[in-house]
Amino acid sequence: IRNLCQQFPHGITDQVIQNDMPHLEPQQRAMAINKLLSLGQLDLLRNSSGLLYRMKDAQSTSKMKGSDNQEKLVYQIIEDAGNKIWSRDIRFKSNLPLTEINKILKNLESKKLIKAVKSVAASKKKVYMLYNLQPDRSVTGGAWYSDQDFESEFVEVLNQQCFKFLQSKAEAARDSKQSPMVQRNSSFATSHEVWKYICELGISKLQVDLSMDDIETILNTLIYDGKVEMTVIAAKEGTVGSVDGQMKLYRGVNPVIQPTGLVRTPCGLCPVFDDCHEGGEISPSNCIYMTEWLDF
Amino acid sequence: MTTQEVRLCGLLLREHFGEVVEKVGTHLLRSGAQNLRTIIHETGISLDLLKKSLCVLVQHGVCVFRSGRRGPGAPTEYLTSCDQILRILRYPRYIYTAKTLYGDTGELIIEELLQRGEMTMSSTVKTVANRLTQNMEDGRSMDYSEVSSAFCKLVETHFLQRCPPRVGAGKAATPATCKTPAPPASTTLPTPESFPECYSVPQVTLRGHGKRRLSNEDGEEQGNAKKAKMDSETHGDEGIYWQVNFERFHLHFRDQAVISAVANKMDQTSSEIVRTMLRMSEVTTSPTATCTKPLSANEIFRSLPSSYNIARPILDQYLTLLVDDPMEFVGKAGESGGGMFVVNLHRALANLARATLESVVQERFGSRSARIFRLLLRKRHLEQKQVEDFAMIPAKEAKDMLYTLLSQNLVQLQEIPKTPDFAPSRTFYLYTVNQLPTARMLLQSCYKTVANLIERRLFETKESKRLLEKSQRIEAILASLQASGAEPEQLTEVEEMITAPERQQLETLRLHINKLDSAENQVDETIFLLESYINSTVTS
Repeated sequence: IRNLCQQFPHGITDQVIQNDMPHLEPQQRAMAINKLLSLGQLDLLRNSSGLLYRMKDAQSTSKMKGSDNQEKLVYQIIEDAGNKIWSRDIRFKSNLPLTEINKILKNLESKKLIKAVKSVAASKKKVYMLYNLQPDRSVTGGAWYSDQDFESEFVEVLNQQCFKFLQSKAEAARDSKQSPMVQRNSSFATSHEVWKYICELGISKLQVDLSMDDIETILNTLIYDGKVEMTVIAAKEGTVGSVDGQMKLYRGVNPVIQPTGLVRTPCGLCPVFDDCHEGGEISPSNCIYMTEWLDF
Repeated sequence: MTTQEVRLCGLLLREHFGEVVEKVGTHLLRSGAQNLRTIIHETGISLDLLKKSLCVLVQHGVCVFRSGRRGPGAPTEYLTSCDQILRILRYPRYIYTAKTLYGDTGELIIEELLQRGEMTMSSTVKTVANRLTQNMEDGRSMDYSEVSSAFCKLVETHFLQRCPPRVGAGKAATPATCKTPAPPASTTLPTPESFPECYSVPQVTLRGHGKRRLSNEDGEEQGNAKKAKMDSETHGDEGIYWQVNFERFHLHFRDQAVISAVANKMDQTSSEIVRTMLRMSEVTTSPTATCTKPLSANEIFRSLPSSYNIARPILDQYLTLLVDDPMEFVGKAGESGGGMFVVNLHRALANLARATLESVVQERFGSRSARIFRLLLRKRHLEQKQVEDFAMIPAKEAKDMLYTLLSQNLVQLQEIPKTPDFAPSRTFYLYTVNQLPTARMLLQSCYKTVANLIERRLFETKESKRLLEKSQRIEAILASLQASGAEPEQLTEVEEMITAPERQQLETLRLHINKLDSAENQVDETIFLLESYINSTVTS
């Protein structure tokens, strides 16, 4: 059986064993499998087509040497979880008492088999994962987080820089005195260009590698600020900055209207606007905001 | 009609026509159509005063009267509406527009007509000419014919229109009566003396645009005919009264708003193209249409003012740019004739209103809240987590901003439960922005703001009433002294009756009032935008 398992590194089913070794009685087969399982050389997996047996890779077995059964169990749970697992889930899955688990986890950590990561979504939760894995974006929050804090200043700075870049481009285009079509087209910048510009600026102080996607999210915030508009054009496959044959173009635009008349009066910004009545405690006649505004 | 509107209307009426008219006006606004007896009963104003104030209201087109609901013979009812009264707020803008378009003469014509409500052409022309002559240097005078030609121009461009004649019961059956040249003057104006007659004769007021157009055309003929008569020193237009066509002014304002928005967004040249398109379609498009009649690129090219020097290929490029622009001011309707283009008025207004809302949020809650607001406008429905991610705002701040916007009713919350029990853990909470209700809400706060500003202005004037009266008296004395040829020492002596601090106080008061006035006009611009957006959305 062991040989068989080695042939299929992805695991074999009960059926396969039966076909290969028809001479074995089901009982004998079960005994053999159980023996291998207890030795820790075989993994039992459950998938859609039924039970699956798989050889454990030699590497991990060697790692586990010198650990007791419980540790093995916990390690296995963490490994199965793949990405990350919350310590409470470990407890549920292993049915071990909390103190025991903590001890085991500490042990494993000291052996550098697993590591604890802090998640941005919930800073109180302790999340464990295998030592050799990189934390996922959903755990670290991507480039915008450092020590699970959102770097809002960093985002603001990038936001401003991107806008400056696009604006200067638009201005250059406007000054170029070319035909309107050319003017507009040259005011566009691809997200790749913006990305390059930002990388060369070297604002990314934390040695964070900003990806194109990161820059695009920044540019999207500029769109929501109403300062930038985006168009998508078809691009030749293989052009720099094209994704799926599409290229995203951004350009800085001017606002459509000046601040509207309402907000140029104190009433438009008044925090107690709803409480203001003629003859009341707060009224237009004795309004201090209005007095200040008039004396301005 | 809301409390805010009524309050503002009351203030406007008080300022222009005095307290009694205010009382009558607000009473009519609050209680709807009523007949004379009820008004007397409920307001306690004497019959004479009430009649006079109703006359004032009718004269200014603010109030209409119609025969009672219980068939002919029932008492006439009086009815006002806020929209009409709120136009008073816009008078400075009408006058200013007339000035920019038609010079001083146009300005004065509109001003006179606005002040009097309705007037005959001959008397308008006379007053305006006299006023212009007064301001001119001695020896020169304003020709009547010049003023009347300006008047005709205003009529031709529909800025002025004939008052719909109030036809007697006998003639009401024929709709063509509005073409009869001169309805008898006695029925046109319900003066106090003719009141008993008004009771017995149910009145029909002709409103609605088709008829108005008719009367306009009619008016043009009349105007031309009258010009000839004018020279022979006979007026012959008694009974034909003219009033300002507010609708036309509003269309003009709307076009201006669109043009300036294009100028801001794109550049001067494209705004000129849009201006040309709007001017070309001024007459052909009905005022409520969502977009103008299609214009071909060739036509546009021909009608562009030659001073702009735009070559044909450049024009084509600009048109393509305008069509491509995400604001969608200009749309393409077809390919014939070098491409057919329309100005999408409804879309333009909606976009402008949206920009207004955004600017309110931006100024009031900061640019980050505005980011969230725009994000929601764009993506319609979003969960809180999505808002944080898209806007790149830390969860804590984003939550704060969302809740503030929600509490100000600028953002709405939609709950979608997975199970029918609305348990919070199994419910999606989607934030969204409804543009139309939000615009309505802002409009109300605009009304309140203007009312506040007016109240403050009245308050400021009241505070320094004594001072104002004094300065007026002194000015009068000065004028009379000057007229009688007094000596300079005497003049300075009188002048010094106002002390320096008093002078300073007067100066600051003047500044304050100017500031409040200009603020009123600015808010009115916002009101105009929001109103036209709401109207165009409701009709389309």
